[in-house]
Amino acid sequence: MTATCRLPCCASPRRTVSELLDRGLRRNRAAPLPHEGAQLGDADGNAARFSIDVRGATIADVVFRMTSCATLVAYGELIAETVAGMRVELANGLTARDLADALPGVPALKRDRAMLAVAAFRSALSKVSTNGKQS
Amino acid sequence: MKVAYIFATSRHSVSYVLAKMILPQLEEKRHGATVVGMFFFEDNNYVLLKDNPIGARLHKIAKEQGILLMGCDQCCYEREIADKLYDGVPIGCFPDLYKALSGNMPDQVITL
Repeated sequence: MTATCRLPCCASPRRTVSELLDRGLRRNRAAPLPHEGAQLGDADGNAARFSIDVRGATIADVVFRMTSCATLVAYGELIAETVAGMRVELANGLTARDLADALPGVPALKRDRAMLAVAAFRSALSKVSTNGKQS
Repeated sequence: MKVAYIFATSRHSVSYVLAKMILPQLEEKRHGATVVGMFFFEDNNYVLLKDNPIGARLHKIAKEQGILLMGCDQCCYEREIADKLYDGVPIGCFPDLYKALSGNMPDQVITL
């Protein structure tokens, strides 16, 4: 039986809002990828747009452009880190509830940001067919 | 005159200026200005934690006098206290603060 390595070099990055935000703000400045979804918004003036790179039927990379709401960017980063390497049809099953459950510490009033993030991500997914070609 | 306070420094702004000046004056209804909002940065957000004794008094007086209390969202997330604040106390950033104050705008914003 092999124990899981807990050394900092091997450990998975922590998934707190604050740490996802730090990584997400870097991803938020990255150049768009080939399959770009629509920019979606909410009543609070937030906006989100994802773009995806696909190799075969697998998501190779995800970037986004979002308004600088900390919660929204953290949810966006959580999506990007979760779906990297995932098959497109599996990623399409990701829900706002999944995000909310995976990221404790977000007050109830801010959890609706997960819905915007997932909707924007699905918009990008809709531009990708399962064989990796733009629809 | 309507004022909003932004607690931006961490030296004595909460334990002294808020807890020993502003809050007692609000409780005694002799502060001299109508406080419409308070926004908290950095470690000042700990005053908004449930069971904080200063926060308990502040939360009570805020409900009685219609004072908006809001914590900086990134500050609270960084300290992992965003979901541990007094009930009804939101977190947010400047757009949320301005939106929340838009129905009762202060004449002066005072940074402490």
